[in-house]
Amino acid sequence: MTAASPELSLECRAVHHGFGRKPVLFDINLRLRRGQFLGLVGPSGCGKSTLLRGIVGTHLPRQGQILIHSAASGNTLVPVVGPGRDRGIVYQHYSLFPFLTAQENVAIGLMLDQTSIPFRLFAWPKWRKLRKEHLTLAGEFLEKVRLGDALHLYPHELSGGMKQRVAIAQALIMKPEIILLDEPFGALDEGTREDLQKWMLTLYQDNTRARARGESPPYTLIIVTHELTEAIYVGDRMVGLSQHWDWRKEGYDACPGATVVYDKPCPVFEPQDAKDYQTFAVQREEVRRAAFDSKVLMDRNEFVTYWKETPG
Amino acid sequence: MIRRPIKQTTTLLLGLASVAVLLLAYTWLSHRQHQENPDDTTIPTWSQLADGVQKACSVDKREGQRWIVVDAKATASRFFLGLGAGVAGAIVLGMLMGCFTPIEAFCYPPLSLLAKVPPTAAMAVFFVLVGTELNMYVAMIAFGVLPTLALTVFLGVKEFPEELQYKAYTLGATSTEVIASIIFRQVLPRLLDGARLMIGPALVYLIAAEMLVGDVGFGYRIRLQSKLLNMGVVYPYLALLAAFGFGMDYALRWLQRKWCPWFEKAQG
Repeated sequence: MTAASPELSLECRAVHHGFGRKPVLFDINLRLRRGQFLGLVGPSGCGKSTLLRGIVGTHLPRQGQILIHSAASGNTLVPVVGPGRDRGIVYQHYSLFPFLTAQENVAIGLMLDQTSIPFRLFAWPKWRKLRKEHLTLAGEFLEKVRLGDALHLYPHELSGGMKQRVAIAQALIMKPEIILLDEPFGALDEGTREDLQKWMLTLYQDNTRARARGESPPYTLIIVTHELTEAIYVGDRMVGLSQHWDWRKEGYDACPGATVVYDKPCPVFEPQDAKDYQTFAVQREEVRRAAFDSKVLMDRNEFVTYWKETPG
Repeated sequence: MIRRPIKQTTTLLLGLASVAVLLLAYTWLSHRQHQENPDDTTIPTWSQLADGVQKACSVDKREGQRWIVVDAKATASRFFLGLGAGVAGAIVLGMLMGCFTPIEAFCYPPLSLLAKVPPTAAMAVFFVLVGTELNMYVAMIAFGVLPTLALTVFLGVKEFPEELQYKAYTLGATSTEVIASIIFRQVLPRLLDGARLMIGPALVYLIAAEMLVGDVGFGYRIRLQSKLLNMGVVYPYLALLAAFGFGMDYALRWLQRKWCPWFEKAQG
């Protein structure tokens, strides 16, 4: 596993983390393929957000390494040392800059990434021209997600669903290696949530089409959610993180932290498919047993079969 | 029922009525006073006030200049330089304190202590340090408004959600950009609000200092003319000060609306 496969987008190697004496994450090993939509689930307090922060780079783990694919370093995996433009993030709240309009919010990443303060101050004729291009691009992005009428509205004038759509566009426009979504649809009403989930499925379709053309799929996603159905519906792979596993068997007196107890592929849905809860039921029950039931303590590798099932 | 809404025209009429009552009451007071003593200058009649305005606006024989012009020049330059220096210092200090914890730990105790020193009481210190001219007034106003404003900025920066900061980094921002292009824009409307609230105190510090040691300026003229019981000059000067404060308040509100159109509604 030392040699980086160009197909991998992200790798967590033996990641441990804790707060004070309280262990949170234990021996997280995870490899994410480029183009994969991974649903990350687990009981509350299991460290989903901690792992996500580790990947974003704002709170690095105590032990172990998180590596991210870098085209600039010759398609190798490079360790995460802090937040960077190769990992986009969408939070449940506070996802937009309140002082920018929807269009400016989407364009700001291009500005921050491509220009510097001295450039904007001292080469402002050039900057103004570039700014126009950025805004046009951002406008086109928002048109695509049916927000063409909301370009000049400020975040407080947008509904929750519109805000999240702008926030996702804000991350997408940067074309990051991986996009992390931290319970992105948790505060939305049912209809809006399904709308956005379907949008995620159209992104997955883009991936499939790119693969069919022999190109590298453009979007890689980790979506943290407390809703199992959402993880199965949107993701093509589900990972369960949990503190309920058989740590006694591995020689611990107390729980050393949450680890990966579930990792299996999920069925892929098309956006036009109806959301059929029947097909979710079996897998849902399985994850519930593996990750959410505090009475069932199983070997942590019992349900970690993703790489066996899809070796290719 | 309390807070029952009224029509807009009623609001306007009531406002005008209050001004009319004020003017009428003054006229009556002045009329009564002049029946007792026709030479009274403490509550001048309207014609005495007009004379006072005339006096302030015409060329003074001894000084060879118009009072209103020299006083306005002196007071305005002291006020704007002082407030400007205070605001600039507060931005730098508040942003640094909010963004860098060692600076916060180092600056917070003295700042909260110095904020409690009345600047007019500490005038002798500025007198010794920077002399009696323009510098003293500027230093005193700046020192008077800086601690409160710096704390306003500092608290605004602290309120900035961590998530937005992380997000800026994932969008390719450098730390300087996070501070200058993201956090400062978020804090700006709060700074303007803070500056608005400091107009009153800044004017108090300035007028008090001019009354004590000035040889020109609004404070100086008001003290001198009050001693001579020339209220016909004093009242128009007071009215001008009020109008100035009102205008400054309006200007800052206008700037806030222009620079931060998102702010007012986002609060509601």
